[in-house]
Amino acid sequence: MQRTRRSLFARLVIRVAAVLAGGAAILMTAAWFYARAAADEAYDRLLQGAAIQILDSLVVEEGRIAVDLPPSAFELLGLAPRDKIFYRVVAPDGATLTGYEDLDFPADVANARTQALFETASFRGLPVRMVAASRAIADPSIGGWANVLIAQTTEARQELTTELTTRALVLVGVMSLLALGGTVLAVRYSLRPLDALGDTLRRRDSQDLTPLAVDVPRELSPFVESINHFMRRLDDRLRLLQRFIADSAHQIRTPLTALSAQVSLIDEEALSDNDRRHLNRVKNRASELARFTTQLLNHAMVIHRFDSVQLSPVDVVDVARKAFRAAVPITIDPDIVVSFEAPPQALMVLGDGLSLREAIVNVIDNSLRHGVVSSLAVRIVRRGNFVLVEVEDDGPGIPAQDWPQVTRRFVSSKSGEGSSGLGFAIASEVAATLSGALGFREPTPETGFTVFLELPLLDKRSAP
Amino acid sequence: MRILLVEDTLDVGEAISRRFETIGHTVDWQTDGRAAADILDFTEYDLVILDVMLPGMDGFSILKRLRDGGSTVPVLVLTARSEIDDRVGALDLGADDYLVKPFDFRELEARARVLMRRRAGGEATNVIVCGDVLLDRSQRSVKVGNREVPLKRREMTLLEILASRPGRVFSKDQLLDQIFGFDEPAGPNAIELYVGRLRKKLEGAKARIVTIRGVGYQLVSDAED
Repeated sequence: MQRTRRSLFARLVIRVAAVLAGGAAILMTAAWFYARAAADEAYDRLLQGAAIQILDSLVVEEGRIAVDLPPSAFELLGLAPRDKIFYRVVAPDGATLTGYEDLDFPADVANARTQALFETASFRGLPVRMVAASRAIADPSIGGWANVLIAQTTEARQELTTELTTRALVLVGVMSLLALGGTVLAVRYSLRPLDALGDTLRRRDSQDLTPLAVDVPRELSPFVESINHFMRRLDDRLRLLQRFIADSAHQIRTPLTALSAQVSLIDEEALSDNDRRHLNRVKNRASELARFTTQLLNHAMVIHRFDSVQLSPVDVVDVARKAFRAAVPITIDPDIVVSFEAPPQALMVLGDGLSLREAIVNVIDNSLRHGVVSSLAVRIVRRGNFVLVEVEDDGPGIPAQDWPQVTRRFVSSKSGEGSSGLGFAIASEVAATLSGALGFREPTPETGFTVFLELPLLDKRSAP
Repeated sequence: MRILLVEDTLDVGEAISRRFETIGHTVDWQTDGRAAADILDFTEYDLVILDVMLPGMDGFSILKRLRDGGSTVPVLVLTARSEIDDRVGALDLGADDYLVKPFDFRELEARARVLMRRRAGGEATNVIVCGDVLLDRSQRSVKVGNREVPLKRREMTLLEILASRPGRVFSKDQLLDQIFGFDEPAGPNAIELYVGRLRKKLEGAKARIVTIRGVGYQLVSDAED
């Protein structure tokens, strides 16, 4: 059993989607880093500005440093309205001039003398960004560096980072979706020849052995070529086989006919009783041989026909009538009542006229040989969406337990009566190939034993 | 009757011509297809028995040439082919009947007789209806309602006589004369035998054969009762 692997379409789309998702993740990480850097830079400038303004406002009055915090510095910091501000102004001697005494800069403040220093830290449990700036106090009494530390919580920065990142996310998302959509369309388009090829193969009649005539891309042509190659070989083989059957049919039938012809010329009157008995045995064996040969060849023919012949609508009534005329010999015992009954309209089934006729001939022939006592009735009956070809005789019939066996080849129903040959086997194989069945019906007081072929009607419209 | 037999297998041809000659027919036997076709161009026959596989020209070609030339002579085709490549069946080409080899020689004789009789009977297309029994004299077929019942020659003749005048009583002697003719010896029991068989074959029909004791038989349609 062949396992169906995941479709080419799914393979391609899943892989492209994975690449796109990976790319999007990398892009988003980068975007987040950039956004954070940008937000830090923007708000760091504000912090630095505020620190410088505070430093600028320091004045030395009477040997002391006076702090007069400028409102402009707080306006600047107010640009991040929800963030808390902590500050500390430190005199050169280390004394806190104003602000939170516990606010400490995590690094060495001395480095802030050349340029403002920034650090990310936490203060009183809140994440903060800190700036440290220094200014040299020129007054000789105090001489040294005054420091300003400002800490600001990071809410505004995070907001800005989030906003920038979200915008990038939307852009990346839209691009990825566009890329994925494009991929799906492209894959669909590229796989279309495959679908078309599959469709052509599916729609093809199984008996059609002509080469495939579809235009396929270069990558598919080896497959189509090998399919066509096998098709051709199968076709050749079938042709050869049919030729062989036809030839052997002719080669075997001609001498058989000659044999029975010559036997029929023997003048029985001139023979002794003993010789006449032998002659009769020869006659019987010759006709038995003729019958089996016919059946064997017909069996082979019927089987191989279905490999090569396309089924077409046939009228069961017409086929059965021909079969009836072919199967019932004119020389039949005049005391046997035979009849053929069919509805006046055509009953169409999808089949092969020759095989179907052969099947019906065999059922009738079997009945004439093994069943019929004084009557044989062939009837075509429509039942629902099926058509039944019934062959009824007034003979003893076949016991129900033997029904499954008689449709097999060369199985005799009764050892004494000889084999029923291939007759039922042919009929049942033809019926099965035409989606029908060969069935049997027990005799009842009103009706005799019946063998029937049940075939599905073509459709309701063709048989109103 | 004059019969043309075209058959290249000597054993078979010999048997067929011997059998038909025994029952009083003249048989011209040809083994070559082309020769047979040439003979058919200028000779009238009552029946042609034609094999399919022939040297010179095959049976189907001969048949086609014959029908294209407008001949209506009955043709019985013998075929040994398994019909696998009989794309065009023999019947479609204008054969009147066919037998697949190997066949029963009595069956061949019987079918040949039917074909020759049909030809002798002319092309009359008259149909006799009595009750739901329909008798087509040109097709020599009988239908009881929807049921086609093949009848033997004498049963057919008997039904023809009775159905030609439904209700009229035919005496045994009248029937004997018409069915058997003068040269065929048959006793009155023969009529009883054929009436019996015909009755059985018309069972279930809306017409039946009534025996009028001491007078004869009549065909009565149920509709008239």
